[in-house]
Amino acid sequence: MQKSTIQFLLINCFLAIVLVSCGSVTKNYTPKKLDKTSYEVPYFSDSKTDYVYKTNITVYGNEISGIFIAKKINDTTHRIVFTTEFGNKLLDFEISDSSFKVNSIVSELDRKILINTLKEDFRLLLKKEYLIQEQFENDSDDIYKSKDGKRDNYLFISKKDHRLEKVVHASKTKEKFTLIFSSENNIFAEKIDIIHRNIKLKIELNYFKSE
Amino acid sequence: MKTKIALLILFISGNLFAQEQKMTDAEIATFKQDVNVVSKKIKTLSTDFVQYKHLDFLSKDIETSGKMIFKEPSLLQWQYKKPYNYSIVFKNGKILINDEGKKSAVDIGNSKIFGRINKLIVGSVSGNMFDDKEFTISYFKLKGQNLAKFVPKDATLKKYIKQIELTFDKEEATVVQVKLLESSEDYTRIVLKNKVINAKIDDSVFTN
Repeated sequence: MQKSTIQFLLINCFLAIVLVSCGSVTKNYTPKKLDKTSYEVPYFSDSKTDYVYKTNITVYGNEISGIFIAKKINDTTHRIVFTTEFGNKLLDFEISDSSFKVNSIVSELDRKILINTLKEDFRLLLKKEYLIQEQFENDSDDIYKSKDGKRDNYLFISKKDHRLEKVVHASKTKEKFTLIFSSENNIFAEKIDIIHRNIKLKIELNYFKSE
Repeated sequence: MKTKIALLILFISGNLFAQEQKMTDAEIATFKQDVNVVSKKIKTLSTDFVQYKHLDFLSKDIETSGKMIFKEPSLLQWQYKKPYNYSIVFKNGKILINDEGKKSAVDIGNSKIFGRINKLIVGSVSGNMFDDKEFTISYFKLKGQNLAKFVPKDATLKKYIKQIELTFDKEEATVVQVKLLESSEDYTRIVLKNKVINAKIDDSVFTN
């Protein structure tokens, strides 16, 4: 009897720890009744727009700069090209929710781990629609939780002007990377930061209109 | 007015492009000599440029512009002013970058590929890159212009650039357009204008 009580306590403790860590991403937020079941992101959704950004990538203290170009080429797929300021193409991807194709990549960047990281980052960056399962809030934002395989995405929509400000991609226990958007018009984002938590990688995108 | 002229030039050169005609051996010899005479005289060179990045899937070319300054033997500054400030200086085996005020330097030492790029940029702008060892070259005539196409022989270089096309003003024998082709669909086209040759340029210009 006593043995099973100890076991019970142990399991409970274990569960408690798991639950606490599970909730770590949302622990400071208050659960709320769902007000929508899906959310559409406007920032890369127009097939007529060439999305062109001056880009700085900081990876383990090294800086790479260039031009990031994204274009919606059909209902599901975006083409992504990263070039130097001179115009040399460094990488060329096609990416959708379910498919990924490398059209070209220079040998210096042709590393599986890098390609997979960029694939995850860009897929989330370009994602058009999120299905929502849970909702939370804090003082400034409504927070929507959307399942993404074994992980979750948390969408932060500002209460003030109803714009998507942040997407946090997290496992059950911790944040993996975060997208931060600044948008004046809620049509495209002028500035986007992609910040990784477990590797030293930061991608900054600044929208520019060519002359 | 300037835009109109630029558009007109674009229109004309676009039109002429379809009419390119192969040069005869004698014409090639004269053309190469003309260019060599002019480019040998170049001690300094500064020019405005407009760069058009063409990617087949985009609705519009990406346009950036700025100024390029060269001083013999190998000082080079490539400065983008619009729509962002980005400047790159090639100097004493170093690349100095100033990206919107954020400065960095890369020691290229005797890196062959960067040496080659430097030589290529200077060669492209001055026009003096008729090196049969490095490129397979073909020559064409256009109305008022000459065109040389360079296909790299080196496999490493070829991975980045499929072909370089230099368009020369026939009278001045100087480069007016550089086109770097990555594939048949994707290229970078750089139009040079307001070129000034042999003005006094201080070495201190080449700091970043």
